[in-house]
Amino acid sequence: MIINKLQLNSPDDVGSGMPRPPQARPGIRRRELMLTTATTLLFSTHAVLARVVQDSLPWEQNAGSPPTEATPGPWTYFTAEEGATVEALVDRLIPPDPQTPGGKDAGCAVFIDRQLAGPYGTAEELYMRGPFADGTPQQGNQSPLTPAVRYREALAALDKYCRATYAGRSFTQIPDNDKDKLLSGLEKGQVHLEGTSGRAFFELLLQNTQEGFFADPVYGGNRNMVGWKMIGYPGARYDYRDWVDRHNERYPLPPVGITGRPEWVRKAQ
Amino acid sequence: MKMRNLMTLALAAYMTGTIGAWAAEDGQSFEKIERGRYLAVLGDCVSCHTAPGGKPFAGGAALETPFGALIGPNITPDVATGVGAWSEEDFRRAMHEGIGRGGARLYPAMPYPAYTKVTRDDVSAIWAYLRSLDPVRNEVQPNQLRFPFNVRRPATSTWDLINFQPGVFQPNPSKSDVWNRGAYLVEGLGHCGTCHTPKNITGGDRGSEALQGALLQDWYAPDLTEDPRTGIGSWSIEEIVRYLKTGANSYDIASGPMAEAVSNSTSKMTDADLLAIATYLKDRAPRSGRAVTALAAANPRMVAGQAIYEDRCAACHSRSGAGVPNLFPRLASAPLIQSVDPTSLIRAVLIGSRAVATSAAPTAPAMPAFGWNLNDTEVADVLTYVRNTWGNAASAVQPEDVSKLRERLSSR
Repeated sequence: MIINKLQLNSPDDVGSGMPRPPQARPGIRRRELMLTTATTLLFSTHAVLARVVQDSLPWEQNAGSPPTEATPGPWTYFTAEEGATVEALVDRLIPPDPQTPGGKDAGCAVFIDRQLAGPYGTAEELYMRGPFADGTPQQGNQSPLTPAVRYREALAALDKYCRATYAGRSFTQIPDNDKDKLLSGLEKGQVHLEGTSGRAFFELLLQNTQEGFFADPVYGGNRNMVGWKMIGYPGARYDYRDWVDRHNERYPLPPVGITGRPEWVRKAQ
Repeated sequence: MKMRNLMTLALAAYMTGTIGAWAAEDGQSFEKIERGRYLAVLGDCVSCHTAPGGKPFAGGAALETPFGALIGPNITPDVATGVGAWSEEDFRRAMHEGIGRGGARLYPAMPYPAYTKVTRDDVSAIWAYLRSLDPVRNEVQPNQLRFPFNVRRPATSTWDLINFQPGVFQPNPSKSDVWNRGAYLVEGLGHCGTCHTPKNITGGDRGSEALQGALLQDWYAPDLTEDPRTGIGSWSIEEIVRYLKTGANSYDIASGPMAEAVSNSTSKMTDADLLAIATYLKDRAPRSGRAVTALAAANPRMVAGQAIYEDRCAACHSRSGAGVPNLFPRLASAPLIQSVDPTSLIRAVLIGSRAVATSAAPTAPAMPAFGWNLNDTEVADVLTYVRNTWGNAASAVQPEDVSKLRERLSSR
């Protein structure tokens, strides 16, 4: 029976984007599945609207759901102090070098700020009700904290830790060497922040910094496509058929973002 | 043969005889109605006289003209709301003279300047077909023109004096039958000029510029002359037939109003009629346009346009502008791309475009909208690049034109 072999929460599920129940079960019986399906159909709050498609697929003119461009300007979620701390943090996770700007100049802190102010920050699209238990690593984040709250709590606790440890100085004021040691301690779980998990914060920060460095510039990070230029990624292009058979050749076109690239603008004659 | 079979046969023979006699009396023979049905396909009556999702011939959607909207009336045989009370002579006058029942002048959105060329016999067959339809009760208010154009037209009209030459099609004896059939279809029932012939200030055809391309409803109906750059000069007879039959050939795919014409009319024409149309079109003189030189590749708008093309267009239309047959229209040496008027091109880039689906080419590929992604200058520059690369040559597209069309399309 195929259904009896159906496994939920197998490690292969990680990253599939499907909401998962907090408890792993070895399998699911057919009767349970049918009951669940029936319940879902009976109590589904959304009306299921079937649509008959004839001849060719539906098409609408002027269709498209373009992303909202991150607005430049002051912080939208962070306070000035929080923003300065996050800029200092991302600049240690991705330090500037002669070829490429660091996390701060690449806009990673701006990216994180705009994300925390939006649906990501409030975990709008995640299941956020109990039970809250420590899951397996494969189950991902099981915390009741939204990303926005986690940042707020952790940044306050980090500030407190710094001022207690480094003679009243904040994270932005201590030398790079100490910053790196502190970050390393958070990553290894050796530095404990008061009232919040330093390690969980570090992991979230690292992930968001990488996202800010490589996401499309439309979201506020990856300023001037510096992340893409660094790794040679040609950007939001659609098709590479012309280059499929051309081996050991450098792809000639520069990266392009959702909103374009500088060459789209007419040069004065 | 058994007795019962014999009786059945006798009954059948009797009934056929009766029906035959009745039909001959009424002029409603199956052959005539069927011929009328096909002629109505040739004339694409259904396009204007049917509303989206509505009953065929029971009244259409609004046709926007520079003078206001007109709606194709109900032409089913319903007495109260259709043409049920009309006689065949009423119908013939509408087709040939543009005069409706009771003497009212029709508006030339009804292409009577073209239908006047249709033979009496064909008009009679179309009438027989319309009479055979189920009457549909559907009140249509056809005249939604703005003042002063909405005032009922007098029987003698200045417009007709300027723009209307009544008279059935006269064959050219020096040409082949195929050519003459093509001319009859293109100039008559096909009423190609209604869209493709430039209009004078009153909305009448500029006869000397027949089928040279015209703008209507924010679409540009392209040049159908033999011009090798903007017309069908480079299309073979087979390519024209394939375009009309399937909606696609190696140059182009029909979209917009032509998609409708292909879907309702040309894709349902016989191969012989399509061949006749193509034969006639290929035998006409090219438009006398002045030579156009392509913009230099180093021109800043061309440079910017190329960057946009590489990033947003080349994936489908390919870097060489060759496209993919039946799927992504070819841009290199494509007549529509080099049109005098770039309205259709601006429109496709701004809000996207959907190609026609026919039984022979059912995919109906679509182009996505780029209006959200490209600003007016960018749309203008990428089109200027496309119109002046790979051997193409045409006027540059101005950002102001993009801006105006964007406004018109968004207000709709």
